[in-house]
Amino acid sequence: MFEAKGLMVFYENMLALNNVSLSCGENRIIGVFGANSAGKSTLMYALSGLILDIQKKEEMAGGERITVRGDVLYFGQNIKSMKPSHRARQGIVLCPERRRIFVESTVLENLKIGGYLANSRQTQETIEYVFTIFPALKRLSKRLGGFLSGGEQQMLAIGRALMAQPKLLLLDEPLLGLSPVIQYLLAKAIKEIRDQRGISIIVSEQYARPVMPIIDYGYILENGASVVEGTNKELMDNPDVKAAYFGS
Amino acid sequence: MEILIYGIINSVQLVLMALGFTLVYGVSRLPNFAHGALYVLAGYMTWLLVNRVGLNYPLSMAVALVLTGLIGAAMYHFILVRVRGMAISEIIASYAIGLAIIEGLRWGGLKGGTFTLPSFVEGSVSLLGVSVDYQRLIVVVAGLILVALLWLFVSGTKLGLGLKGMAQDEQAAMTLGIDSDRMAVVSMAIGSVLAGVAALVLLPLGSIVVEAGYRVLIMAVAVCVVGGLGSWNGAILAAFIIGFAQILTERYLGAHYQIVVALLAIIITLVMRPSGLFGRQKELEERV
Repeated sequence: MFEAKGLMVFYENMLALNNVSLSCGENRIIGVFGANSAGKSTLMYALSGLILDIQKKEEMAGGERITVRGDVLYFGQNIKSMKPSHRARQGIVLCPERRRIFVESTVLENLKIGGYLANSRQTQETIEYVFTIFPALKRLSKRLGGFLSGGEQQMLAIGRALMAQPKLLLLDEPLLGLSPVIQYLLAKAIKEIRDQRGISIIVSEQYARPVMPIIDYGYILENGASVVEGTNKELMDNPDVKAAYFGS
Repeated sequence: MEILIYGIINSVQLVLMALGFTLVYGVSRLPNFAHGALYVLAGYMTWLLVNRVGLNYPLSMAVALVLTGLIGAAMYHFILVRVRGMAISEIIASYAIGLAIIEGLRWGGLKGGTFTLPSFVEGSVSLLGVSVDYQRLIVVVAGLILVALLWLFVSGTKLGLGLKGMAQDEQAAMTLGIDSDRMAVVSMAIGSVLAGVAALVLLPLGSIVVEAGYRVLIMAVAVCVVGGLGSWNGAILAAFIIGFAQILTERYLGAHYQIVVALLAIIITLVMRPSGLFGRQKELEERV
């Protein structure tokens, strides 16, 4: 359903993504792993369309020249020049790095803002669903987003993205800076979301261990290029990947 | 007592003048320097509709507000969108539009004290021993109603929630399907209508003069800078601080110090606390 072909992104002359291709079928979880500066976030910007907004802002402010090459196909349609808000309307929703929740709004209001694209029945139903997969949020529903812990904020960010009724959910480093217990809890929730809602998910992560077991297929990025790819079993059995990501 | 009552009235006037400006900036990071011009324009259009077209007063006000909103939306849609993201150009473009409107009106014959809008209700009432005319009470009531309506709108409707999301984090809002340009048009329309409402309740207190355009802009900028650009709570608090400061100086120094107070407030804020009382410009980003 979703495919990126030969994506190249330059910041001025620096190559941030070098000919990256990936695809995601329906009802799948795809993992993208790599160290800092490997290009994970740039990839997520390119898939969600935020890169177009960043590109335009830089251009208007006289900043960096950003060049994007390659195609992004979604149900056979090339959406590489589609704005992020229109991609969201089509069902591609990004849950951004560092969560970016609305800190001056309550938990419930964050979810309601997330439901901008949903009708009132979907909004009701999805809020209830978010509260069943993340019961912690229900207790905190009147608290301001800024006063949540990192783990709670991440749950809220994922919940907020679900409110937009995605068909493809892009999770950019959802486990960043969280404790191992929360990491495993979130990884489990991500799998549940796929199993229960039939949403395809692309998740990027630096720390592969909690995410690797839940993915169907994964890509390893290094210096902006995809160097290894395979099913989770193939990746876990690959000696290089093992050494780099599992330390054994 | 007089200071208290007139201080509140003056503060609410400032809230009315600043509300539209702060809303547009808060949502779209767009400093609308045509704000004061839209204020004068709304008043003048109402005058025209009443005196030249012959509509009745309430209907004229409604039509003028709708037109003002459309003009605001059109300003963004046709002009400002082209310079979006270039901060200096946004100011120059919006200020140029404002100048064109204000000086156009002056050229078109809007000068002197001959253009007046009637008060909604004539007469005055004695409040705790202070005589206050009804129009000034209406100003306070209108201010309260407007703030309440705005609050209901942004927390209860889908469009309002979209604006609120956009105001807090543009990119996060985009990924949820909230369109930046669409929200900017909506915020400009609402901000212009708010400028219009301010004009319609405030202008009956005096006459419609083009200079009001500049004065309203300065007051709106002062309130927003002191309160922290884009912060609604900050703007209301700042309006009360400046509002009372103006009434106090008017009482003890002279009426012509009003604008000096506003400008001094901008300077003091920029020196002491550049982000304003509730500003988030300089807030440290959370590091992970």
